[in-house]
Amino acid sequence: MNISASDVILLAHAGFGVTGCLAALWVFIEALSAQPGNAARIRAAALVTALSMAAAWICGGYWYVHFYPAEKALILGGPWPFAHNLVMETKEHLFLITGMLAFLLPVATREELFSHAAARKLVLSVAALIVITGLTVEGAGAVIEHGAKVALLRGGAKGDR
Amino acid sequence: MNSATAPESPKLKAATSGFVLAAAIAALFNTALAWARDAYAPLNGIMKSLTGNPWIAHCLADVVLFAGLGFLFTKTRAAEKIDPSWLTGALIGAVAIAALGLALWFAFV
Repeated sequence: MNISASDVILLAHAGFGVTGCLAALWVFIEALSAQPGNAARIRAAALVTALSMAAAWICGGYWYVHFYPAEKALILGGPWPFAHNLVMETKEHLFLITGMLAFLLPVATREELFSHAAARKLVLSVAALIVITGLTVEGAGAVIEHGAKVALLRGGAKGDR
Repeated sequence: MNSATAPESPKLKAATSGFVLAAAIAALFNTALAWARDAYAPLNGIMKSLTGNPWIAHCLADVVLFAGLGFLFTKTRAAEKIDPSWLTGALIGAVAIAALGLALWFAFV
């Protein structure tokens, strides 16, 4: 087995991103029936969301700067150049919005959601936006990796002929 | 107390309203900066010279704007007077416009 630092960092990036999405979904579900009894859980889940997204940001940023240029060249030379030109270009900027929403969530959950309908709607909206944009970014990551895979597979197939 | 019988309070805390408004502005700024970097190569060069990689400078600009405006709006209580429902709608609208703006730009421009 040969697992490189690049592999670990990339998988940690995706793993922290999924964890952040799940934590935001947890906030959403708890906030639907906000009561004094679950206020601490909502705030804890919001903190997990922010910390997970920060970790995903750091891991993803490090991988993007240090390891992505080689993969980018591979994708652009393969049959799916849109995996970089459209998908990665959108992902690398859309994720920044997800990150800022994740940092907003712990601030918004300091409101007393059980007695403040407008604050509850705000928290539900922020959590839903994190889940939607976060899962979009996760899916984009899969498309980018597939862009590299088809470049290698089809390039290899051509080479075998 | 449960949510069905709880009294309604129309205002958000200064920090909440301030950071929601800051997030909406930062989301739109993020997309505008992505457009500008893609359309005007010298800007990319300037940002690269600042941090070694233009994406890092982009991240820092977003975070500094979000945090800076958030703390400014909190301190001045500037966003506290804004209706919470309007703030929520503005945030959803800003994120939707910013996300679509990114996808459409990189798809067609």
